[in-house]
Amino acid sequence: MKITDEVRISDNGFVFNSRTGDSFNVNPTGLELTKLIAQGHDFDTIKNMFLEKYDLDDLTFEKDFYEFIALIKHHQITSHEDPLDFK
Amino acid sequence: MSKTKITIAVTGLNNTDNPGPGVPVIRSLKESTEFDFRIIGLVYETLEPGIYMEGLCDKIYQIPYPSAGSDELIDRIEEIHLREKIDVLIPNFDAELFSFMKNEDRLLRSGIHTFLPTMKQFQERDKDKLPEYGEKYGIKVPASLNLGSQNQISEIKEKFEYPVMVKGKFYDAYTAYNTEQVKQSFNKVSSKWGLPVIIQEFVKGTEVNVIALGDGQGNTIAAVPMRKQYITDKGKAWGGITLSDDKMLEITRSLIRQTKWKGGMELELIKTVKGEYYLIEINPRIPAWVYLAVGAGQNIPEALVKLALGQEVAPMETYKSGKMFVRYSYDIIVNLEKFETIAMNGEI
Repeated sequence: MKITDEVRISDNGFVFNSRTGDSFNVNPTGLELTKLIAQGHDFDTIKNMFLEKYDLDDLTFEKDFYEFIALIKHHQITSHEDPLDFK
Repeated sequence: MSKTKITIAVTGLNNTDNPGPGVPVIRSLKESTEFDFRIIGLVYETLEPGIYMEGLCDKIYQIPYPSAGSDELIDRIEEIHLREKIDVLIPNFDAELFSFMKNEDRLLRSGIHTFLPTMKQFQERDKDKLPEYGEKYGIKVPASLNLGSQNQISEIKEKFEYPVMVKGKFYDAYTAYNTEQVKQSFNKVSSKWGLPVIIQEFVKGTEVNVIALGDGQGNTIAAVPMRKQYITDKGKAWGGITLSDDKMLEITRSLIRQTKWKGGMELELIKTVKGEYYLIEINPRIPAWVYLAVGAGQNIPEALVKLALGQEVAPMETYKSGKMFVRYSYDIIVNLEKFETIAMNGEI
């Protein structure tokens, strides 16, 4: 999965998809996650980074992560077929 | 380098809630780095806002509606030409295009250049011929049915699922969810625009548009896709944003290549959630949001003028995506003398 080329992410959390014309605001956690995905990190790396930085457990991270991935996929911010296929 | 002086006549100064493209066309021309344009505004009504906008036109003339007869209209244009020496005329209304296309040669003989679609190009993209058009040029279009009378409304149930779009031949579109609503819309549309009334399959999706310019040889000189962000109750864009959408550009280039489209155009498309594009309409002229294309890097009116004058224009292949326009309304205070002059003299 990757962030589609047409998506621009600002440091303040404004995400713009120039292919669809949609724009979104993401909170600081969402921004951090989006940027890590854009940088090409895999699921395990992102999970480890989050578990190290924040007070949360594996299960909660996974649940919230896949929910977020499904959401950004729905808005065509990412290009991949199945949100559960995140590598 | 000194700029070449050129006189341009422009119609469509009605910058109302259903705006004509005249004012944004003039604003675009004024941004030209090569030409120094003298602008002649041509108006049908004395309250077209472009008349009263300071610094917009150098001279304004009132002209008769094409419905009064093509000859009256062209006679008046030639009369104005004798005084102003018009180099290029840019008509901006659908309803007047026919008269100007028909008299293209006569205008040229007088020295007035235009750059309009051919009669065939203009007629084959008529709304009531859209299915044939889609098939001929390989573009998906919504299924449609032309209604010549109210009696045919019962046929809708056999061919479509509600809701359906009820459209006028030239203008107006309503969504109808049942037979009753179709009847109401049919009456509204047919009394204004005549017959047939077009019933179109309702395609669910996002409305997106492309402004483009064809050189008449099959080349796309300019093309910028846009999504309406704010739509008025008349379906007009009050805000929009340029898109980076290769598929929309491909559809546009393919259409221009096949039809050898000459002049400005606007493609109205619906993009479905599956990413399919349905052509719902082609406007055979520059649309009112043309200034967005200029802001994004493609000065379409300037390129059209060059083509009209027989100059070579290289295709503009890049533009900035994510450029937005936001329209606004503005009150101009006008002295009665100005209104009186245009109303009494037909020029100002």
